Amino acid sequence: MGSLADAILAGDRRAAGRLISLAESRTSDARDELEILYRHGGHARTIGVTGPPGAGKSTLVDGLIARLRARGLTVAVAAVDPSSPYSRGAVLGDRVRMMRHADDAGVLVRSMATRGALGGLSAATGDAITIFDAMGFDIVIVETVGVGQSEVDIVGHTEAVLLLQTALGGDDVQAIKAGVLEIADIMVVNKKSAPGSDRMARFLRESLHDRPLRPDAWTIPVLLAEASEETGLDEVIDALFGRLDHNRQDTHMSAIRRRQAAAHLTALADVEIRTLMRRLIAGQTRPEAWQAVLERRSGPYSLAARLFEQLR
Amino acid sequence: MQTDFQAEQAEDQPIVRCLLGMLGTDVHSKGIRTIAQLLREAGVEVIYLGEHNSVQGMARAAIDEDADLVGLSFSSAAYVEYTRQLVAEMKRIGADDIPVMLGGIIHPDDHQALYDMGVRGIFGAGSKTADIIAFVRSMGRPR
Ligand SMILES: Nc1nc2c(ncn2[C@@H]2O[C@H](COP(=O)(O)OP(=O)(O)OP(=O)(O)O)[C@@H](O)[C@H]2O)c(=O)[nH]1
Ligand SMILES: [Mg+2]
Repeated sequence: MGSLADAILAGDRRAAGRLISLAESRTSDARDELEILYRHGGHARTIGVTGPPGAGKSTLVDGLIARLRARGLTVAVAAVDPSSPYSRGAVLGDRVRMMRHADDAGVLVRSMATRGALGGLSAATGDAITIFDAMGFDIVIVETVGVGQSEVDIVGHTEAVLLLQTALGGDDVQAIKAGVLEIADIMVVNKKSAPGSDRMARFLRESLHDRPLRPDAWTIPVLLAEASEETGLDEVIDALFGRLDHNRQDTHMSAIRRRQAAAHLTALADVEIRTLMRRLIAGQTRPEAWQAVLERRSGPYSLAARLFEQLR
Repeated sequence: MQTDFQAEQAEDQPIVRCLLGMLGTDVHSKGIRTIAQLLREAGVEVIYLGEHNSVQGMARAAIDEDADLVGLSFSSAAYVEYTRQLVAEMKRIGADDIPVMLGGIIHPDDHQALYDMGVRGIFGAGSKTADIIAFVRSMGRPR
């Protein structure tokens, strides 16, 4: 026990990759190793990058890595793409945008599939952060899957959430409807050469202006960028460091840490409960009970109530 | 939040992680995109690296991504040399236990030399999809 953790603390990337895979398949061996590593962490600064499919998240991360490296900071990335709910397979295509850093030992990119998680991350994303943090990476970036209107798990896990939008993705109503607007610490209108980008940025600034002050008193910058041309990225970096500095104040940091721990705990509990439920439904439901529902002599409501009773 | 994602699959069956990409100046990526898609549908996690990868970048990716195997697709004649370089680099960084699979236009005369280098599977033009999938699946390690 602890041999993987020891190797990881010594900087062994192979061991780190292995433990992330073990965490993804939720083996109990992983738990003990992660427990050790968690105690060594707490130093890395965490950045989340989210936004709709194809908005340019990976391209932006690639540009951010270059700039963070230029400042001498080491960077680890957990990049999440969706699993097929049918086959469990996935095509993980974020890393291909970041290959120019492939030879840089100060950069580690790990692609992860959602494996059934619905919040835009995977259940093991928090574990990947734990591992990178323990390895001593200065910055950990998490890229979510392409989000729609409700995948907001990223908020709990990171202290600076960058939300990418483009003027290509629908109108103003969609921008305000999307719950993901509430989660941004920094907003970036990417692909700014697309028509309507300035208008979009103006609209976002106005909507933000009308909102009540946030509890952490942070004002959300709205920036324009062309990630593929590396335009506007210095401003994004400045805004990010502004946010990280802001978080340094004790009261903010303790709130963030609490939120992070809660998010991690929720992700872990979620898996356990789903597994338990599956086992209950598959194993403990008596065939007669099923039959009764199928023949409409009783409903799924009472059956569900009985299952929940066993969970309590 | 979780869905009932794994309900229909045996939970102890490992998900295979397969790195897929092209080295050097090869530019025929339609083939590997098709394979990537097929493997996804067969339940494999494909880490898609596209074209123009360096030997070093590919080898390092195999480690950082904890790949169960590395799949290379070739469309140019330089595949023997590229494969030799990749195998050597993987050995240098301690990743030589990760199996390598080749696809694309590979001449039968070269098969033995490639196998001798340590290549585990060769799927040239005309290979059956089912064979590729079966091979990739068989590379999963117990978790
Ligand atoms: N014109 C233009 N294209 C861009 C820009 N940024 C990214 N792209 C292109 O948009 C496409 C998608 O970029 P990605 O970085 O993969 O987008 P993503 O948000 O990570 O996509 P998912 O992870 O699949 O949700 C690629 O073809 C990029 O080259 C930009 O600022 N302008
Ligand atoms: Mg991406």
